[in-house]
Amino acid sequence: MMYEYWLASIHRLSDEKKRRLREEYGDGKAVYYIEEMQLRFLDYLKPEDVDAILNKRKGGEMALKENWERLQEQKIRFIPYFTKDYPLRLKDILNPPYALYVKGRLPEEELPAVAIVGARKCTPYGEEMALEYGEYLALSGVQIISGMARGIDGAGQRGALNGGGATYGILGCGVDICYPKDHIGLYMDMQVKGGVISEQIPGQPPLPMYFPARNRIISGLADAVLIIEAKERSGSLITADMALEQGREVYALPGPVTSSLSKGCHRLIRQGAGILISPEDLLSELGMGDKKFEQNSDKNQKVLESPENMVYSCLDLFPKGISQLIDETGLSVQEILERLITLELKGYIREVSKNYYIKVR
Amino acid sequence: MAFSTVVSAAIHGLHVEMIHVEADVSNGLPMFHMVGYLSSEVKEASERVRTAIRNSDIQLPAKKMVINLAPATVRKRGASFDLPIALAVLASMGIFPEERLKETLVVGELSLDGRVQEVSGILPIVMKAKEEGCHACILPEQNVQEGALVEGIRILGVGHLREACQYLRGEQELEVPSGRIRNKVANSLDIELVDYSDIQGQEAVKRAAEVAVAGGHNLLMVGPPGSGKSMMAKRIPTILPPPSLEESMEITKIYSVLGMVDKEHPLITGRPFRSVHHTVTKAALIGGGMIPVPGEISLAHGGVLFLDELAEFQKPVLEVLRQPLEERQIRITRSHGNYVFPANFILASAMNPCPCGNYPNFEKCGCTPGQIQQYLGKISQPFLDRIDICVEAPKVSYEALSAGEKQESSAVIRSRVCKAREVQNERYIGTRILSNSMLGVKELKEYCHLGRREELLMRQAFVALGLTARTYHKILKVARTIADLELSEKIRECHLKEAIGYRTLDKKYWGR
Repeated sequence: MMYEYWLASIHRLSDEKKRRLREEYGDGKAVYYIEEMQLRFLDYLKPEDVDAILNKRKGGEMALKENWERLQEQKIRFIPYFTKDYPLRLKDILNPPYALYVKGRLPEEELPAVAIVGARKCTPYGEEMALEYGEYLALSGVQIISGMARGIDGAGQRGALNGGGATYGILGCGVDICYPKDHIGLYMDMQVKGGVISEQIPGQPPLPMYFPARNRIISGLADAVLIIEAKERSGSLITADMALEQGREVYALPGPVTSSLSKGCHRLIRQGAGILISPEDLLSELGMGDKKFEQNSDKNQKVLESPENMVYSCLDLFPKGISQLIDETGLSVQEILERLITLELKGYIREVSKNYYIKVR
Repeated sequence: MAFSTVVSAAIHGLHVEMIHVEADVSNGLPMFHMVGYLSSEVKEASERVRTAIRNSDIQLPAKKMVINLAPATVRKRGASFDLPIALAVLASMGIFPEERLKETLVVGELSLDGRVQEVSGILPIVMKAKEEGCHACILPEQNVQEGALVEGIRILGVGHLREACQYLRGEQELEVPSGRIRNKVANSLDIELVDYSDIQGQEAVKRAAEVAVAGGHNLLMVGPPGSGKSMMAKRIPTILPPPSLEESMEITKIYSVLGMVDKEHPLITGRPFRSVHHTVTKAALIGGGMIPVPGEISLAHGGVLFLDELAEFQKPVLEVLRQPLEERQIRITRSHGNYVFPANFILASAMNPCPCGNYPNFEKCGCTPGQIQQYLGKISQPFLDRIDICVEAPKVSYEALSAGEKQESSAVIRSRVCKAREVQNERYIGTRILSNSMLGVKELKEYCHLGRREELLMRQAFVALGLTARTYHKILKVARTIADLELSEKIRECHLKEAIGYRTLDKKYWGR
């Protein structure tokens, strides 16, 4: 396995060439011992490819062993394409990763998996919806796949964790690096309740070029992809394209037609993507989630006193400031503030910016 | 008489030092020599004095003249010693009897033709003169009104060196300003006649300002550009309780030292409003110079210091405000001594919620979470900790602008504020505390007692909103003020809830 790891970690060599070398020579160890002359003779290897291989061999077997042991110490699982652990869902996609590095677990093959992706810079509406879908799907036994990015991705995965389900983060850097840094909580929790997965070798810093490539893994590992919010030109749309190529279902969440962050979603819907109406609706359409559960989600039955209800009913998922609420309700500043704080303390609303509030549930 | 002494004064920071100007005229090589740790502008006085004396038709004899400004250890600066030097020289020449100058303080600058020019810092100098037992002051004509603010001391104004001589020879009496100047029309500084009723809408900010003023809390307004944050800040002095005579004198003293008082109406009866641009330097803000002069925070003493675009200020400049915000005065240390300037002001500040100012309007705001975090990060936590009230200042809608409803006037708000202040004064009688904002953790226990229900609410809020100990204390202080505004002895739930709404922005929840 040590030699397989060596072959997989040759950074400059494409997955396809690694695969061909291994096929022709049998295993990693055989590739490791190919003579330089012979390498140079292979017509599908360019001189710089050969240099990359030779460079990686320079440390000798000692270095090889050291690297391998370090990987074990870090508790990072190394799963090359040809092993039985390699996810079946990825085997049939175009250009599957040569190897995966995993901290935690890989998605269960027999359980349904759904990817929740979307804009990094999202509105509170998108964030709340991602949280809600993540939580509901997780409660129904669906695994949530996403990219652990800021915004929708993180919210979807946080929702899944809130629902006590498994969620898998596909990174655009080595699995030992938490990017973005402020998602460290998510990163740690995920390793317990699911896993962190990457095709990049450990220690690889996040580079912009890796992110579109990891999107194919996100959609590849999922049975369906949900796009929560996306601008007209967005990385999430790349994921949607990949998903279609891989034969996965694509669903998009509609938003206000005036919102630039919903434009990408609306375009997808026009092109034929499924419309997300509610998590329940999605599950029945996908035929997923046998674990039926009763969610006491009848939100209108909440016991709110009428003055609070008046303020609450003015709020939605788009932030409103105090002055707007004054205009709408005709209450005084003190009255509004008192009610807002009561609602906030009860967890019905959330302050997204100074004195701007949204409805949470 | 070959030797004579004239009393004068020098200003160090805000402190007045009595200076004795001694002159000696004796036989010897003709010369005019000045000693006594003088700065160059004082040394140049020799030319001004000699020319002014000659132009006042007095011939200087060809004698050796030595002038000493005592005490010799104090650095003398400024041009206010011209007149005392001239009078000391003339007295020792025997032009007039020295007794006439006894217990009389003299300050004034001379021009070459002998006219006496105004100088700054008259009010503190005259106050000090009275303290030191002088019974009269000879001042430049233009400064007479300011000097006359001090009662119980004769103020004599001179327009020309010749007039001073005639008076001292007893040939002519100088006019003593009549009437009590303090009753004259006030100099209310730069504040034009503004009023809260000018502002349409913005109820939340108005209310927050009222609470801030009532308890002396510092205020931060967050809102997009053009939402009227500066308009609001400018009107805060109009709802502050009017300053007492002592306060007025204290404020006027600071302005006097910087030569910023009006000649006709020197007494400042309004509360100052100082708006500082974000390019301000540390020295300009807190005071500075080799011999420090008061800065903006001292000019705002008793009033309001307004920092617009708070996030644009250089970080070190904001950090120097931390100590004066806590101690209500600024202590500047130089190798030759300490200077303490008063700086008891309400800090009103304003900032955008993000670099473009439109957050959380996602249609317009193009800032990334990183940019927003970085923008907010420009204001340090310790600085934010000193701001008790934070409020949103939204963009005003057209409807609100054109509604034309009758708005509450400053006078109405001020009467409420005054009542709340009275309540506080009564409660804190005999302590060092002047307003709720000065309550320490220990005093909070004593004065902000919570009932059971209120206690429960705070516990709930502490967990649900992720409060820190500091925000918790700030909420209590502000709730105390809100209760005082309603003349309520107890802090009730509604007071606490309103105060929670004013808590300072929490970076954790912002710009996700």
